[in-house]
Amino acid sequence: MASLQGNRLIIAIAAIAIVVIIIAGLLIAGRGGEEQPETVPEATPAAGRGAPAEETPQAAPEEREEARRVKIIWASTQLVPAEEQAFVKGELLPPFTEETGIEVEFVGLSYDALVTRLQSEVETGKVTISVIADLHGGLDLFASKGWLEDLSKFGALEGRSFPKTLEDYSNLYGIKAYIPWLTATYVFVVNKEAFNYLPPDLTPEDVMSGSEKWTYEALLRWAENIYAQTGMKALGFPAGPKGLFHRFLHGYLYPSFTGAQVKNFDSPEAVEMWNYLKELWNYVNPQSTTYDAMASPLLKGEVLIAWDHTARIKDAIIEQPDKFVVVPAPRGPEGRGYIVVIVGLAIPKGAPNQDAAWKLIEYLTRPEVQRLILERVGFFPAVEDVAEQLPEGPLRILASGVSAQLSAPDSIVALIPSLGGRGGEFSQLYREAFQRIVLEGVEPEAILTQFKEQLLALFEETGAKLPPPDQT
Amino acid sequence: MAPAGREWVKPALLMAPAILYLTIFIVYPIIDTIIIAFFPEGRFSTESLEYLLYSPLSKFWDAIKFTLILAALVVPIETVLALIATLVLLQPFKGRDTAVYILSIPIAISDVAAGLIWYSMLTSKGFVNKVLIELGVIDSPIYFFGYEFRDRALLAIVLAEVWRSMAIVFIIIFAGAQLIHRELFEAADVFGASFWVKLRHILLPMIKPSIQAALIIRTLFAFQVFAVVWILAGRDIPVLAGEAYYNLVEIHRFDVAALYALIIAILSMTTGFLYLRMLRARHLEV
Repeated sequence: MASLQGNRLIIAIAAIAIVVIIIAGLLIAGRGGEEQPETVPEATPAAGRGAPAEETPQAAPEEREEARRVKIIWASTQLVPAEEQAFVKGELLPPFTEETGIEVEFVGLSYDALVTRLQSEVETGKVTISVIADLHGGLDLFASKGWLEDLSKFGALEGRSFPKTLEDYSNLYGIKAYIPWLTATYVFVVNKEAFNYLPPDLTPEDVMSGSEKWTYEALLRWAENIYAQTGMKALGFPAGPKGLFHRFLHGYLYPSFTGAQVKNFDSPEAVEMWNYLKELWNYVNPQSTTYDAMASPLLKGEVLIAWDHTARIKDAIIEQPDKFVVVPAPRGPEGRGYIVVIVGLAIPKGAPNQDAAWKLIEYLTRPEVQRLILERVGFFPAVEDVAEQLPEGPLRILASGVSAQLSAPDSIVALIPSLGGRGGEFSQLYREAFQRIVLEGVEPEAILTQFKEQLLALFEETGAKLPPPDQT
Repeated sequence: MAPAGREWVKPALLMAPAILYLTIFIVYPIIDTIIIAFFPEGRFSTESLEYLLYSPLSKFWDAIKFTLILAALVVPIETVLALIATLVLLQPFKGRDTAVYILSIPIAISDVAAGLIWYSMLTSKGFVNKVLIELGVIDSPIYFFGYEFRDRALLAIVLAEVWRSMAIVFIIIFAGAQLIHRELFEAADVFGASFWVKLRHILLPMIKPSIQAALIIRTLFAFQVFAVVWILAGRDIPVLAGEAYYNLVEIHRFDVAALYALIIAILSMTTGFLYLRMLRARHLEV
């Protein structure tokens, strides 16, 4: 009897174990299916803060004829994470609806979803989207396919001015393809203590305003000076595995020294650039190869001059706004190369309610609205003079550095190539070249040509265009 | 009702949970990993293997090298230290229990936290450098991290890993040692055995199974070393698990990441198999 009970007990336990394992297995398998790698480019502040929201199911827009009430659809690949969408729907849009009576439905989409939807709408002639917000690369593609209205027919926007570089980029394929809306970039942050060691012919004003004298050569002499006087390797770069140092290589040094990101990859000027970086690296904190973001090394005082994405140095400036200034990138022999991430607003060809759409664009590019967006989600304005209107404080320090960079007359604006999932390989090629040449001491000539071939192959295989400034 | 015909039911039921468990959590993931690594678009391709072996972007050989070096350094060091700690703590003295608890603390600390603790201690403005500068031992900070100082970074990783994982080895060996009957030592004392004789002929043979168990666990985990290395050295010191992560998250080469995972699995299984063979042989000798 006892053994029979024992048997039953064993069988019951075995059965329970089987059920538990099956349930656990199903749960894990289910989760595995849902997990999607985050592929949003890190250059947008949205990156890393959540997966793109799912496309909200779209009821066909009802033509509400009741009392001139218009409803338009605004499709965006930006401000998609939940907290940013909450800001858009709860704070950004209600004043607009109140002012104009136009209702706006904000639809957050992934880039792929936007392409698919726009293509099918334009090709069938049943366009429902009135306004699109997307990165320059995407808008360039839409314009090349003839999917966008020429915005010049709406005239100029009063009471605001756009930096010339942004204006130039928004004119694509003979039309005014989009209105620049938001920007993000990468800048240098300087601990004010470093100004005590400036080389003789360089002033803090030169550095902060991005004058002719603020060159990579001056940066080298400055770092040399700090090292000679304090023994400190004061420069810092986020060259850790999750850092964005590759952006500095392809979007800052390469354009400044060779005038291009990719096409002059193995030119004599590029060799000169790599030799410069080798020399500069003598004054770079050697721990840089473990830094993923520069806020913490700046705050700890491990480095005095650092370069990083605005979102990744923001913490340092917010914590100690009196200690740091944000300054434009130095210039090289070819000019001042830097990356701008541009988000633009466009109207699809044949879109409904185009006047209402234009009113929304007008509202979104007002300086006070741009300022609100900067304060709440950290994207920088695309219109000038917003920085000056900010109250004293961390945001103003950041914004004036960004705006000084953007208004520099010798700008060479670099845009991040749209390589989709292959973007990681593009970045890795620059980082590997850096590791071989600067860290391992390989002669630049020995590897640059081979690496260039691999870079070009990436563009060929994905069908992507070489990004500006290579294209212009 | 033929009882003989149902004899298979009970063993089958008893084995079913284990078989199910292995199928769902071991066999299925391995098959899936093979598919991701070698059938990226539905048909067989060795592209991932070629990337691993020949791409200038691949750090495969370095990763193998450093993973093995770390395992070869960390596991013996922590085993010897755990043995010494066991010997000390087997002696009755005041505060012994407290000492055992303190030695066991790192078990409760995640590897990421352990990495961060050691990084902030050893960084150029960290605790260690500050103390040394205050004491006048050094003038400028000693760098432990960065590509230039890979040897020191390796040392820091070994330190952090030994600190973090010695506790588990210690607990296993200490638990085994406490099971030894005191009579054995008392008898040895009666015959006037020295400390070394007792160590060689009583303690070590008696705790051998515990040491072997600890070695298996630690060697297998050593092949998966990741967080501490990632935090202290990034990819300056590439390891297999770190390369798998990097290829998955940064480069989006799922096939290459899966191949790394497979290599870690094969390495672990081979080592596990060898250890078990060695274990069995020892038991037969006794």
